[in-house]
Amino acid sequence: MIKKQRLLFLFILSIALFFILAACNKDTQSESEGSGNAEGENKASEGEASGDKILVFGRGADSIQLDPSKVTDGESIYVTNQIYDTLVRYEEESTEVKPALATEWKVSEDGKVWTFQLRDDVKFHDGNDFTAEDVVFNFERWTTSAEFVYYGYMFGASEDNMKGIIEKVEATGDYEVTFTLSEPNAPFLYTLAMPPFGIASSKAVEEHGEDYFKNPVGTGPFTFEEWLPDDKITLKKNPDYFGEPANVDQVVFRVIPDNGARFMELQAGSIDLMMGLNPQDIATAEGDDNLQIIRRPSMNVSYMAMNTDKEGPLADKLVRQAVNLAIDKEQLISLYEGIGKAAKNPIPPSLWGFNDDVEDYGYDVEEAKALLAEAGYADGFEITLYTFANPRPYMPQPKVTAQAIQEMLKEVNIKVKIVENDWDSHLDATENGKHDMAFLGWTGDNGDPDNFMYVLLDKDNAKMGSAGNIAFYKSDEVHDLLKEAQVEMDQEKRTALYMKAQEIIHDDAPWFPIAHTTPPLAAKKSIVNYVPHPTGSEPFNLLDIQE
Amino acid sequence: MAIQPNPVTDPGIDAVDKNVQIKGQRLWVDALTRIIKSKTSLIGLCIILLLIITAIFAPIIATHSTTDQSIVNRYQPPSSEHILGTDELGRDIFSRIVYGTRISIQIGVISVGISLVIGVLLGGLAGYFGRWVDQIIMRIIDIMMAFPSILLAIALVAVLGKSLTNAMIAVGLVGIPQFARIVRATVLSVKETEYIEAARSIGAKHRRILFQHVLPNSLAPIIVQATLGIGTAILDAAGLSFLGLGAQPPTPEWGAMLSDGRAALQTAPWVVAFPGLAIFLVVLGFNLFGDGLRDALDPRLKR
Repeated sequence: MIKKQRLLFLFILSIALFFILAACNKDTQSESEGSGNAEGENKASEGEASGDKILVFGRGADSIQLDPSKVTDGESIYVTNQIYDTLVRYEEESTEVKPALATEWKVSEDGKVWTFQLRDDVKFHDGNDFTAEDVVFNFERWTTSAEFVYYGYMFGASEDNMKGIIEKVEATGDYEVTFTLSEPNAPFLYTLAMPPFGIASSKAVEEHGEDYFKNPVGTGPFTFEEWLPDDKITLKKNPDYFGEPANVDQVVFRVIPDNGARFMELQAGSIDLMMGLNPQDIATAEGDDNLQIIRRPSMNVSYMAMNTDKEGPLADKLVRQAVNLAIDKEQLISLYEGIGKAAKNPIPPSLWGFNDDVEDYGYDVEEAKALLAEAGYADGFEITLYTFANPRPYMPQPKVTAQAIQEMLKEVNIKVKIVENDWDSHLDATENGKHDMAFLGWTGDNGDPDNFMYVLLDKDNAKMGSAGNIAFYKSDEVHDLLKEAQVEMDQEKRTALYMKAQEIIHDDAPWFPIAHTTPPLAAKKSIVNYVPHPTGSEPFNLLDIQE
Repeated sequence: MAIQPNPVTDPGIDAVDKNVQIKGQRLWVDALTRIIKSKTSLIGLCIILLLIITAIFAPIIATHSTTDQSIVNRYQPPSSEHILGTDELGRDIFSRIVYGTRISIQIGVISVGISLVIGVLLGGLAGYFGRWVDQIIMRIIDIMMAFPSILLAIALVAVLGKSLTNAMIAVGLVGIPQFARIVRATVLSVKETEYIEAARSIGAKHRRILFQHVLPNSLAPIIVQATLGIGTAILDAAGLSFLGLGAQPPTPEWGAMLSDGRAALQTAPWVVAFPGLAIFLVVLGFNLFGDGLRDALDPRLKR
């Protein structure tokens, strides 16, 4: 990784010089464009030779694990979404659910017992039949350890109650499975469609044990082929897929850490589709006859969490409010170069339950100073801001954004030290509460406000070491509201509860909410039928490459 | 009066020293003449002088503050207001580059200082004493040379923590082997000369011989290596800063400027072009001057 970045440094240094030379000699430039095309042709001819349609997908960071139940990061989910199926699945463009491994389902009057009829014609990639026993095996596996983070986030499992709200999962027939919940759970069905709850082959999990995360076996449209860490992951088409079989024969996920370098590869034709486009490059891509911009519908939030649990100034609500007042959000948003809208709540406005009556703090340095003085910090203090090196869909320029905040907070005598880490070290550091302030973001998984509010701001998820709530915000009032909203089945009543919770959160200010983005993807014009899903990833079986 | 075991020693050595000094002065005057005569090394010298003057007078030369941001004015192309344009946060690139010279000089001098002191000491000891001292020191140096220098520097920074100071220390430590090997080689040849033999025969101590006679006469290659080393050190430190391991924001370090500006590589190339050009020029300057110096100090080239 570091070696690669070193090369990148030399590369950019030489590009910098190249621009200077290019200014003197226009011919140099056209020559280099020529060589770019040649590279593209090379790749195309390779593909033709084998007669395979290969989709090369460029992205900024590698997957952490290919066992989706153990991860929360988008880069892992992107790949596992191709390999696994869930009981139910989201519609192509929304978070409504449709049948997948389960063909139909019913729920008891009290909302506690769910019965699913399963498909009887599905085989895992390892050749074993998919049965109700596999579903039971997976759900039981997820209750065996806190490693299965999403299970904990979504079903409220904790160390004293590893099962959370799912009391039992039984195979009530070869192809029928019954869930008994301890309390009704409104988002339950939607949650089951989330990629982390993809059903793995029980035989493969037992066979590989600890190493299962790099030998994934599911039922999805693609089978796992090879993983070269920090380089690429190769998947092959699953010809026996029960749904719509894939149009491409192979998908290669390539890691190209730098957004600009990745875009240049797309221009040169060595990759077909990429996420993490620098917003500055959108215009360039739109002006290119061979490229297209595809925008993912917005369902995310980026924020700066303030560690309320650590002793120091940020434990004081007044200081957190002052930080909110001291940052000029409008200016900050312009660093998103048109792909972001200012955020004032933890959930995006496209989601039901969004409280538009909450009024954002606004930019007021004088008031910020007054609040700091009231809290006894008129002379300011020093503080860390943790940020990450690889751009994320919800935050295209983390380091630059951090520097902008550093300079703005200087006005109110808060001296910010920026700590930049790689993506996985950043997650590790923030989950363990090493930071004072930290950037992070979230892309919704199931279209339910619970998935934002409970995961990111409930005290249940402020556990050291696996925190989704990296502000370590522990409000009992908010907890009660969120818990109530989980068991309430009536959406109107739930909306009211979430509205109230947003007001409290706004006042307690555990976050400085930054933006909701519409992340751009760039692709060759030949890529068709690609519909990005609001949850941040989607299976590639419908996508096709036109000759 | 105490007994003086060897009353003639000191004046004798002083006399030798004076001769060496006169010879030494001639050498430097010759060298300077040759540098001025050689065009490439004169260019190198000019670049270095320009760098030093810019660093000293940075507050006068710079037109803006290095940290004041104006996000609405980001990515402005060069204009009369901003001679080299503005960067991703609307900061003045010219002023940042001007202040960056101070950091680059600091990096060059401190890193090379570290390499020089430790390297000369180790190389001198190894060359002068030979045998097992030589064996131990040079095997350690061999081990250090087996690592690619930037990887070793990255590893050192990872251990020491990310900061400009630690980057300078890391780059300095990584440069030790170069100095140690050059000094050892020179010392090996100098210690066989007659004046060293003479000093030894009149009973001078090892320390005196090493520091008064051997090392001063090995100075030429050390100076050449130091000059070339400054260029390498600046480049390596810029590399570390590019990776986020060196200068921390908002320090206007050139490598960090390259790193932060790269998102707009295609739309606002001046954001990376000018810091890149600055690194290029300074490293070129030190390399040209270093090469010229090597030629000038080489006695075989004397006509």
